[in-house]
Amino acid sequence: MFATYLSAMHESISRRVALVLLGVALLVSIAFNAFVHVRKLGGGEMIVAIGTQPPMPAAFAVPIVLEAEFQGTDQLWLLLAIFAASPLLTATLDKGWLELTFSKGTARWRIFTGRVLAGLTMYLLLFAVAALPVALRLWWETGVGTWRACVAIAIETLGFSALLSVASLLTLPQRGVALPMIASVAVWLLSPFLANRRETFYRLFSWHVGHEVVDWAYRILPKSFELEASCVAFIQGGKVVSWWPFWSTAVFAICVFGLTLRQLSRKSF
Amino acid sequence: MTANPVIEVRDLHKTYGAPRGRTITALRGVSLRVESGTIFGLIGQNGAGKTTLIKILLGLSFPTTGSASLLGGSPSDAGRRRRVGYLPEQMRLPDYFKATAFLRYMGRLNGLDSSALNDRIPALLERVGLAGVGKQVKAYSKGMQQRLGLAQALLNNPDLLILDEPTDGLDPLGRKEVRDLLMELKAEGKAIFLNSHLLSEVEMVCDQIAILDHGRVARVAKPDDFARGTGEYVVRMAGAGDMARAAVEEVLRREASHGLDWQGTMFRFVPRDLAQLNAVVDQLRRVPVEIEAVEPVRLSLEDFFVQVVAGRES
Repeated sequence: MFATYLSAMHESISRRVALVLLGVALLVSIAFNAFVHVRKLGGGEMIVAIGTQPPMPAAFAVPIVLEAEFQGTDQLWLLLAIFAASPLLTATLDKGWLELTFSKGTARWRIFTGRVLAGLTMYLLLFAVAALPVALRLWWETGVGTWRACVAIAIETLGFSALLSVASLLTLPQRGVALPMIASVAVWLLSPFLANRRETFYRLFSWHVGHEVVDWAYRILPKSFELEASCVAFIQGGKVVSWWPFWSTAVFAICVFGLTLRQLSRKSF
Repeated sequence: MTANPVIEVRDLHKTYGAPRGRTITALRGVSLRVESGTIFGLIGQNGAGKTTLIKILLGLSFPTTGSASLLGGSPSDAGRRRRVGYLPEQMRLPDYFKATAFLRYMGRLNGLDSSALNDRIPALLERVGLAGVGKQVKAYSKGMQQRLGLAQALLNNPDLLILDEPTDGLDPLGRKEVRDLLMELKAEGKAIFLNSHLLSEVEMVCDQIAILDHGRVARVAKPDDFARGTGEYVVRMAGAGDMARAAVEEVLRREASHGLDWQGTMFRFVPRDLAQLNAVVDQLRRVPVEIEAVEPVRLSLEDFFVQVVAGRES
């Protein structure tokens, strides 16, 4: 699995996808850092200003800076990572390549899992490169702990893993990269509408069965929207308000990925 | 026949689903057995089921019914596959690899550690004629890619090699090198399962040959069995004239025979027995003509293959 993982990372870098994305993340990080100004007042108090906003005490401003960064970029990273990771999955099943790899002495599920983990790592790296420099700088200059940014990245990665599992499953029945991408993005786009279904779907139709279907869709599908909200709430308060989006999204990701591996091991090529 | 064949296939059927509820039957009760230390050739038309059979042997596809055993176990067992080398007919090598990185990855998938890879990769690149080629595989010619494919198939020092069109894209010298390599590997006790459209090559190197025709094994035999005599003889002469022709026809008129066919200074016929053949030769010696050769006509594997396929189609 590790050999496949390293090979997929090598592939991402060689195809320049990972390098381009990391470059974009670095630029975003540099730009964000340029907007954040830290100053020390005469009494020794640290103040932080974001752009032209009035400066605030560091203890108050640091979570706001991190929150702004996560809210401003998490959707971008998610979309870019889906576009970068999906080809990694479909390339596993390229004709002429799968015959070489799947005929070797490594189980199919290990080969595929290695590539999925590479996709997940890419997302993690993307987020880390974009968000951690400003978090580290604020901690260094103000002394205010910014470890919550690491937890927030982990929360976002959980949400991404669920979407990647959808892309994995849809890689198997066909060879194109479009369907895995579209499906995972669709699940992500659906998430806020399902979370606010009383204001959205319930108003579209009044029949009870329809509401039940929407409720079950909400229960089953990943809670990307709520995870993003939990991420921001954690940065602000350091607490998790509800574990429901966490464990239900994790269960979804595990079940869908498990189903993918089962289908993969039974598939005749 | 040894107790443990490297490949054993029994009554293998494979049916694929196709659009609009149709089914395609690729294999219809294939049974065969490959012993260690032998080269087994598989030939057949396009669509005969050769690639399907190979995919089942490698655990890439699963049979509908019947059984396939690889090195005494299931092809699905990754541990067994570590002892197999495979060269697919159509390889798609990712562009970004260089030969060494590609072989390193292939070796890792077969459980080889760094020290084994460091030892084997340079030696193998040397053996297939790719030593010192530093460019990425996207710049490789078809022949170079085929050589690299052979190298990856040999990387794990396999007990069984499954080669699908190994000489595809190679020049005549490259083909000879591959043939020599196969004979070396056979001498080392390895079994080789060879699928090729080049029947002359199959005939040259294989100990046993199976003809697969529309999903069925039409014949399994040794090359000598395929290239058996047809009972027909060719007599070649220098400067044969009307006298020679008259002499031959005189003998053959006296005794019943078939298929006399004159072509310039040679003729073909099917003697009733050796005595009749000798009578014809004796008669020719009485006229002023020099006999250059008297040869039995043998079927080549290609002739036999065409007969099998044409026979089924008629």
